[in-house]
Amino acid sequence: MANFKVIGRPIRRFDALSKAVGATIYADDYKMPGMLHGKVLRSPYPSARIVRIDPRRARALPGVVCVLTAADIGYAKMVADIPGQTGQRERPQSETPVLAWDRVRYKGEAVALVAAETEEIAERALELIDVEYEPLPGVFDPLEAMKPGAPIVFEPDNIVARWRIRKGDIEAGFAAADLIIENTYRVPFVEHAYLEPEAGVAWVDERGVINIRVSTQVMEHFRTVARTLGIPQNRVRIQGAFAGGGFGGKEDITVEVFLALLALHTRRPVRLAYTREESILAHSKRHPFIMRYRIGVKRNGRITALQADLIADSGAYPYLSPYVSLYATVMATGPYRIDNVWVDTVAVATNNPFTSAFRGFGGPQPCFAYERQMDDIARALGMDPLEVRQINYLRTGDTTATGQVIQSAVLLEESARRALEALGERTPDHGPIQVGRGFASYFQSYGRLMWLHDTSQAWVGLELDGTVVIRCGAPDPGGGQLSSLCQIASEVLGVPLENVVAYTPDTALTPLAGTTTATRQLYMSGNAVLQAATSIRKTLLERASKYFEEDPDDLDLADGRVFIKRDPDRSMPLPDLVRICAAEGLPLAHLALFKAPFRDPIDPETGQGDVFPDFTFGAFAVEVAVDTETGQIEVLKSAACHDVGRAINPAAVIGQIQGGSHQGLGYALMENLIVENGEIRTPSLSEYLIPTSVDYPTTQVILLESGTGVGPFGAKGIGEPALTPVAPAVANAVVDAIGKPIRELPITPELVLRALGKR
Amino acid sequence: MEPRLITLNINGRSHQVALKSNVTLLRALRDLGYTDVKNGCEKGDCGACAVLLNGRAVNSCLVLAWQADGAEIVTAAGLGTVDHPHPIQEALADSGGVQCGFCIPGIVIAAKALLDRNPHPTEEEIREAISGNLCRCTGYALIVEGIRRVAESRES
Amino acid sequence: MLPEFELLMPRTLPEALEMLAQRAPDVMPIAGGTNVIPDLRGGRYRPACLVNVASLPELRGIRQEDGFLVIGGSVTMAEVLEDPIVAQFAPVLQEAAKMLASPLVRNRATVAGNLANASPAADMAPPLLALDAEVELASRESIRRVPLKDFFVHVRQTVRQPQELVTAIRFPLPPPGSRARFFKVALRKADAIAVVNGTVRVDLTENGRCQAARIALGAVAPTPLRAYEAEHVLESQPLTPKDIAEAARLAGEATRTIDDIRGSAAYRRMVTEVMVRRTLGEIAYGEGEN
Repeated sequence: MANFKVIGRPIRRFDALSKAVGATIYADDYKMPGMLHGKVLRSPYPSARIVRIDPRRARALPGVVCVLTAADIGYAKMVADIPGQTGQRERPQSETPVLAWDRVRYKGEAVALVAAETEEIAERALELIDVEYEPLPGVFDPLEAMKPGAPIVFEPDNIVARWRIRKGDIEAGFAAADLIIENTYRVPFVEHAYLEPEAGVAWVDERGVINIRVSTQVMEHFRTVARTLGIPQNRVRIQGAFAGGGFGGKEDITVEVFLALLALHTRRPVRLAYTREESILAHSKRHPFIMRYRIGVKRNGRITALQADLIADSGAYPYLSPYVSLYATVMATGPYRIDNVWVDTVAVATNNPFTSAFRGFGGPQPCFAYERQMDDIARALGMDPLEVRQINYLRTGDTTATGQVIQSAVLLEESARRALEALGERTPDHGPIQVGRGFASYFQSYGRLMWLHDTSQAWVGLELDGTVVIRCGAPDPGGGQLSSLCQIASEVLGVPLENVVAYTPDTALTPLAGTTTATRQLYMSGNAVLQAATSIRKTLLERASKYFEEDPDDLDLADGRVFIKRDPDRSMPLPDLVRICAAEGLPLAHLALFKAPFRDPIDPETGQGDVFPDFTFGAFAVEVAVDTETGQIEVLKSAACHDVGRAINPAAVIGQIQGGSHQGLGYALMENLIVENGEIRTPSLSEYLIPTSVDYPTTQVILLESGTGVGPFGAKGIGEPALTPVAPAVANAVVDAIGKPIRELPITPELVLRALGKR
Repeated sequence: MEPRLITLNINGRSHQVALKSNVTLLRALRDLGYTDVKNGCEKGDCGACAVLLNGRAVNSCLVLAWQADGAEIVTAAGLGTVDHPHPIQEALADSGGVQCGFCIPGIVIAAKALLDRNPHPTEEEIREAISGNLCRCTGYALIVEGIRRVAESRES
Repeated sequence: MLPEFELLMPRTLPEALEMLAQRAPDVMPIAGGTNVIPDLRGGRYRPACLVNVASLPELRGIRQEDGFLVIGGSVTMAEVLEDPIVAQFAPVLQEAAKMLASPLVRNRATVAGNLANASPAADMAPPLLALDAEVELASRESIRRVPLKDFFVHVRQTVRQPQELVTAIRFPLPPPGSRARFFKVALRKADAIAVVNGTVRVDLTENGRCQAARIALGAVAPTPLRAYEAEHVLESQPLTPKDIAEAARLAGEATRTIDDIRGSAAYRRMVTEVMVRRTLGEIAYGEGEN
């Protein structure tokens, strides 16, 4: 299969046209007969004691079918731990009340649920639920939250997680340095701002199974729902609609438990759809980090030691903060060979909005810091920024700071060089407009932590007419995950792409494939589909070999036919072969289970151990024009170059990279979820600005294909990595333009003027 | 607050509906089954609910249904179907401009309004025309490319 | 959902004014709805009654009348952008309209509504202030014309009485030597509320002297404002770099800014000065000469 027919071709995704004509039924487009409308009452305080909840007036309102408070649901708690296909046990301390009863810990925390005949009545009912709060002192800064005597959000001491890396001899490393560069970096809360707010519909079917059709990245939340409600896991079914974006924000439970509770209590279908404001209030955010970096370097540019202290604001509940902070720890060194490393990371609870997964999952924050540090080092040594990186880049066979040996190709040099070259001629300065250039390199894992023992399953079957069905429980929040699975099956079975169907995930119909998170779906489910299709291919070729009296290795499948490679005219239509196999009872379907490499957890004292299946490497380069009088920054050109291993669908890969680049530019320059005393000051898309079509020019994309990834056909993951290097590259370009350091995001016009000393 | 019977002419079909005064055109359309009109923010920030109202692209969340009484309304689904897509829809699907797709019906409407008035827009004009339609997935590049291709194919 | 309200649908202006008179004070006109609907939804106000004025024939159109340009009370930003009379006599209005919100909003938002909403950052206010516009306010009893500079009272507050409707905005056609430019600094290039906006207008004599100057600023005070002292510096002078710098400095001093999520008071003041200086420079010496 060296010459691919379908793999590597920029095909139109099967879901694209249906979406363009508005025919796709998203989570909030689904109606059921007799459907009720749900609403959630939320805390107006970031920290308060609940003195009393009285739902009687709401219950008396005509049209209200159900009002639930914590007392009505047995004070249920939800395990907000790492979801999905994993045999690993959960962290018991990550429990979150489904509905608060004694106290609320962040503004927007759910306090009661309503189901009513109309949305209007449900809204009115919320106003009639009497809740008496007694505001309590809150803590809104992770540094304050760690001090003795700070209000306790999370017992016993607001520490949600700690991680460390101890490698080599840090003191000797710094002693050997000619120069030590030390700085502190800060990055803000960031909102996912997917276009589709959280939504779903639930109903209890004739078997007593709770069905939830929902916009999610995680089918396996049926387990959390079941556990939270205290019912068997086989009594909850999740149907995953095509989601209107996720980016990590639909990785945690959103509406699922609320819907299940309301459907169970009313025995009627219930719809729950968040407004935009509620979405911003109710779901997770990207972690703000405070990052102190200390890097020792020889005059020749070789890094001798790196020390990083990372402090992440976890907000009011842990959710995935323990894992995000672990990722940040593992990726804190950047893609560099450093013998002496000391990293301390702490995730701290506050009464701020809770933080959890967001594209990059702890990768982008340290990348901002270490890549700014690398430019500072270059400047201090009078070296070229690429040169100083080249001296320190990881290479295949090197070990990371946690002692993991890099197995795949490491095209760091090439990606940085090509991205920079793509910027072309440098734009000249003009009056107060100063032009600058910068780039950033990165490494970012794809696939989950290896001690989670991650698996994905896919079922592939051939129908009698030679068409193919894929059943794989992979949610598709927009990346084209399902379409790529079709390409893989099409390639392996020699079936035209239009003859392959992949169902959207449904725990009743599709085998569990794990989460669409951690840039794992192409890697994991792609491999599962590859295994399943390969198994069927083997059956087909073995049977055909008897028919043609040829060795199976001399046969191939393509364009819906089986044929002899050296004499393609000797062939048979695939449906004929399928019918022969079917008549003989040969298996024409296969359920494959793909397992990621399994490892034990890292050593908690030293952080040593294998953590991830593999890493993606690449670079982003950008040219900016800075108006030194107004501080405004114009992105003039940008280029992204990543080793994607193998581009299964180059159009989809380019789309992922351009989209990730754009989100990264927003992170660098514009996006800032302002939180003051626990209150979001940017509560809607009027205040929380994300880039529009006119803000940044098209990012040039350069694909490198080393073929060395652990995904199907050597693919690596690209969804999250696309974003990681963008913000530091922009910051480096701004620093190049103005000659002053930038150590926080977003780089607003005011920040630029402050850096220039103009105020 | 009594409902009032109004006429909404949607995608060439006339609907008589009794609606209360505080119902937006967005809500009315979705309740009538035009779920291709997406609810992304309900305050005119995202453009996902864009429709043509008497030929002009507007946020249907910012129009009261009564204000659209008797008007001609076109949604993305009214421009084409999977079997007979509008060239803009076809081009967006082909260019790779559709990822999660939630913004796309609104962008199709904004692009239609642009090309109706300006059949050969520059890239800048295309970007400007969809600047009220937020997209979080694509970075807009392949969307712009798709719209550009429609304009180009019309030239030949 | 929107709160409940009574919605009246008059067919003519007299009918509309009658309804406003009867329902005042708890009544609000609605045209494009691009401010009213988000404000209703967000709970900024909750009038018992709305009067739809979007389709009143008397409020349509842009016309020239007795040396004035008259913009009807239901004229949208899109109509301003497409209008040849505006393009000829007041292109600065189009510069501003093009930077207001987004194309989708501009197809609904009206000039009258942008003023009546009285946001300190209203993009149409500075150019209309610089054009010496007046607001025509009609009620059942009377019609009055209020200079725009006297129209704004405070944040979201104007001299318009609840029973009154903005039926037109009018301004004298600028003389041939008049040049005006709009500027806007925002945190995003489209669909963003101004951090600072403004309009600089200079009427030049044939020998290049400044006959009259207008410097109008937005988002730097509770209301859009004129920087009179800065204007005085320029009047009767050739536009020298020194005068321009001084006018810009005085424009910065005229601001009464506050800190908010979009920018600090200090930043606004500083950028006002820069933008006024640059815009004056562009008018005096051409594009890009700053």
